[in-house]
Amino acid sequence: MNHDPFKKELHLRKKLDEYHVEIPDFQMKPKGKRWERLINFLASPAKDPIEPLISTAAGVAVLKLAPLMGMAAISIIQLFFFL
Amino acid sequence: MIERADELMIAYQNGDNDALGGIYTLLKPALYSFIYRYTRDQQLSIDIVQDTFVKLQHYKHHYHPGKGKIKSYLFQIAYRLLIDKLNRRKKWRSFMPFLAPITKDELNHTDRLTIREAIVSLPGKQRAVILLFYYHDMKHEEIAEILSIPKGTVKSRLHTAIQSLKVELEGDFNESRSL
Repeated sequence: MNHDPFKKELHLRKKLDEYHVEIPDFQMKPKGKRWERLINFLASPAKDPIEPLISTAAGVAVLKLAPLMGMAAISIIQLFFFL
Repeated sequence: MIERADELMIAYQNGDNDALGGIYTLLKPALYSFIYRYTRDQQLSIDIVQDTFVKLQHYKHHYHPGKGKIKSYLFQIAYRLLIDKLNRRKKWRSFMPFLAPITKDELNHTDRLTIREAIVSLPGKQRAVILLFYYHDMKHEEIAEILSIPKGTVKSRLHTAIQSLKVELEGDFNESRSL
């Protein structure tokens, strides 16, 4: 026999009953449309990877200096190898 | 007692392809609302429901009416697909976090629906149990079959989920008492 654990939980039941779900209209999927899902996934909005950097002044400076630092590092590595 | 969906499934297994449409009409809302309440992701929920019915078409003869209802069988397929998909997403996100799609929850900050948040904040295993029990009127045995866990575990998870929800909604409980 299944004892109803919600029997005495009137307030919780009331709250749970407030949670309605709207069912969108969609059809049964025809077979072989996986590529459509891939396109949906690629086209869906995504977080900006450099957003934390451009939101502060220091971040912007880092972004500007990073290519210079990178170039300098590559030059130093080349000096070590070829000289 | 044999339900309408079970009758349709038997007809579908016997070659009546139109019966599949009937099963879809009858069980799509329940499947969708379960997945949606679990994930709060509309596109994912639609994908899972559609994939569940594709799987049903592929494995229609794997269902045995004597073992349980078609509703439980479809919920079991949907739950497994959902867990696989969520695990795959988690892996994908750990490799490339910036490529993860933004969910609607992140976009909608003015959402005030506390019961939704309380349910989503439950651990996945407890969430599935409470959703199946409360919104889909499933018995402990059916939930145990869908989630592939023992009946005792269903009971304990249900109890823990109820306690957690009460804690999460504590403010609301105190408010309603003081009124």
